[in-house]
Amino acid sequence: MTTPTLKIPEGWEGRAPDGWDWVPLWEAIEQGGHIFTDEFVRGAIDAGINPRVILDDGLFPGFNLQGDRFTEQIIFIPEMLITARAMKAGLALIRPLLAANDEKPLGIFVMGTVLGDMHDIGQSIVTIMLENAGFEITNLGTDVHPDRFIETAMEQKADLVGFSALLSTTVYYQKVTIEEFEKAGHRGKVNILIGGAPTTQEWANEIGADGWGKDAIAAVNLAKDLIAKNREAWA
Amino acid sequence: MSETVNVTFVADDDVRTAVTVATGSHLLDASREAELEVIATCGGRGRCRSCRTKVLRGAVPPPTIMDEVQLGPDEVHEGFRLSCQTRAIADCEIMLAPPTSEGGHKLLGSEGDITGRTGIDLDSGVVKHLVTAKIPTEEHEQTSDIEEILTAIGGDGPGTMAMDLLRDLPEVLRKEKGTVTVTTFNGTIIDIEPGDTTAHKYGLAFDIGTTSIVGSLVDLNTGEQLAAMGDVNPQAVYGGDLMSRLAFAQFSPQSLRKLRSRVVKAVSDQIKEGCDEAGIDPAHVYKVVVVGNTAMHHIFLGIDPTYVGLAPYSPTMRNAIELPSAELLLKVIPRARVCFLPIVAGFVGADTMGAVLATRIDESDEIRVVVDIGTNGEVVMGRRGKLMACSAPAGPALEGAQIRHGMRGAVGAIEKVEIGDDVTCDVIGNAPPIGICGSGLIDAVAKMLDAGVLHPSGRFHLKDRETLPPKLAMRLIAGGTGKGEFVLARADESGKDEDITLTQVDIRQLQLAKGAIYAGVLMLQRIMEVPDDDIAEVQMAGGFGNYINIESAVRIHLLPALPLEKITYVGNAAALGAQMALVSERERNRANDIAREIEHVSLAARPDFQDIFMEALCFPGDENVELLASAQTG
Repeated sequence: MTTPTLKIPEGWEGRAPDGWDWVPLWEAIEQGGHIFTDEFVRGAIDAGINPRVILDDGLFPGFNLQGDRFTEQIIFIPEMLITARAMKAGLALIRPLLAANDEKPLGIFVMGTVLGDMHDIGQSIVTIMLENAGFEITNLGTDVHPDRFIETAMEQKADLVGFSALLSTTVYYQKVTIEEFEKAGHRGKVNILIGGAPTTQEWANEIGADGWGKDAIAAVNLAKDLIAKNREAWA
Repeated sequence: MSETVNVTFVADDDVRTAVTVATGSHLLDASREAELEVIATCGGRGRCRSCRTKVLRGAVPPPTIMDEVQLGPDEVHEGFRLSCQTRAIADCEIMLAPPTSEGGHKLLGSEGDITGRTGIDLDSGVVKHLVTAKIPTEEHEQTSDIEEILTAIGGDGPGTMAMDLLRDLPEVLRKEKGTVTVTTFNGTIIDIEPGDTTAHKYGLAFDIGTTSIVGSLVDLNTGEQLAAMGDVNPQAVYGGDLMSRLAFAQFSPQSLRKLRSRVVKAVSDQIKEGCDEAGIDPAHVYKVVVVGNTAMHHIFLGIDPTYVGLAPYSPTMRNAIELPSAELLLKVIPRARVCFLPIVAGFVGADTMGAVLATRIDESDEIRVVVDIGTNGEVVMGRRGKLMACSAPAGPALEGAQIRHGMRGAVGAIEKVEIGDDVTCDVIGNAPPIGICGSGLIDAVAKMLDAGVLHPSGRFHLKDRETLPPKLAMRLIAGGTGKGEFVLARADESGKDEDITLTQVDIRQLQLAKGAIYAGVLMLQRIMEVPDDDIAEVQMAGGFGNYINIESAVRIHLLPALPLEKITYVGNAAALGAQMALVSERERNRANDIAREIEHVSLAARPDFQDIFMEALCFPGDENVELLASAQTG
């Protein structure tokens, strides 16, 4: 096991006013201090720091550190969630500024729990994590009919679609939903990710999903990789 | 490559079973072919270690990733494999790795006179009438055999009497010159025997759980329990937890038939065993009361449970029913009527109804809570006239499953843990420990929190272990995963050649399980606006064997933090409720009233469930709880 460490962004010292210190923000994100995060990010905006810099140098280091710890199963869901919520508090201030600077989202993602399954908890955490990572995300909620996944994905011109299933009895509908995408002739237009406690990589292969995330962090990394691959293919 | 291969299974008692299977078959399927009981707790998905085997001879394919994950590189190197992951590609000899069966299951039964214990009147609905009927002699004013019997017992009509009774009647009536014993159940004739058999009137109560099936044989003349039976549910080979079992049965009539025949056989075997032990004739069993979760209930009745597993998880039927034993394929008790208690919802089944009957919270003037802990935890809260129930998907961790060294409460299981300067464990049967059961897990984690081995967030204090007493520090090791493991019993003290430990992942499994149940309690408290102080009593039910440390259950926040005198452990309340409905029709009818009264709450559908669940995952004293509360997902 590699012990996760704080990854300090390269060249960060030069990107903020002299004497500016991000460390308290890193720690606040790590510990889930959402009120402190909100105040600190407001201060950074008032100080005229570029929102992209606030995001990369201020918000991500603490968030990524906890993400790595979560992946290594050192911290647990509640700790990851409070960090994600602190991150969200900061991002809420930054996002409009990024949009005003014409920054495009990393990708467009449609998310939901499959038909027959009322469980919200896994996919709502993945949603927060994807949002924090810079994706534009539409969350369709639970018990989502395949047709609704297809309609929304086409409307939003989604890059990625995620199907969550939390029961051994409902993973079946991950398969069905993929088949429906195929029947509708839209399978080639999106990347499909699956996840949820009873799922495995083997299951993902069997039903022809483009990827399986073992946890929320893995899902975000997978989504980023697929987007990068798509970009390469287009270039 | 030949089309078939021979697989020989070697059990720990050296019994060898050979089977020929298609090349490429999974060893787990081969073991089923050989009719061996290999438990696949996760349903054969490579997600637990329950089906592990050791390859003694012959070639097998390289280990899969799931072999590596579950067994670790050392065991894989020694030839251990998960039978659900390993295909037979050549003739081979496979050891069913211990423990494949855990002898001496310690399932909580209950002894003695049920009416005495519960204070209810004997009123089983089964009546034996000893009568001497006139044998028809008059040809002019003709009557019939059955009319003569009805006249003798004062009945008004034959009801839905079974045809075979009529077929036997001519001989039965004349055998003892018209002296017959007529047995009725709620007025319907269910048996007619020659001579006087009034001394023999028996009944059975069954709790069909996902994990285990417990039964008791009761003398309906006295209310006395004559035999107690219990065994694991043999359906477990098709998935240990409820959802994998449902997934197996989903959209597959053949699978449903397999599951049904297993439960029918298990129940029949227990009936024979109990009747043998008590020295009675199974033909004198007249009433059976069955409780069980909705899925088990449906499967026993042969009803497709597919839709119980899919939102909105609705059952096919909820009402109480009564059937002749033949409908349930229980040939061993030909004269019995089988009664099922009513169901509340897809995941609040007849077992919960049994627990409510037994705990009588529907008759309480103060707010009481019943927490029935099983693979699915059910919580019922309320008082007279106002009851709410929910089901919490705890998973099997509290029953010792999906815990690295977890096991059921059988001989060799650690069931109690003390931590001072060092660790001492109480083991069931005073045997060398081979694993830890649910109550041991709860106790161990509580004591590890007290000792500072665990942080309230559930993380091992690996970094600052030097602050622990030296002997505890030595037990807290990095372990194979590097994330921390706590050694409860060292290899030299244990009954297997390895340390009995709790891993970081085990702790997380426990948190998920206890968090689900505690979230259920918190949710009902929130909906019913019941603060802790208003709860008069929490009754904790479940098959925890004979021991559960309530203080520890509160310490880890499996149960709310009430004064300990307000919390009682009531054992297998579902089974007790079934016994009460067996000896008393009044109690059985009460279940119907309760079923109409209970309001069902779907936890997953509540928008605030996530926040409550996150809070419930933590142990007391975790500062994250405050942060979670102040930063709820808006």
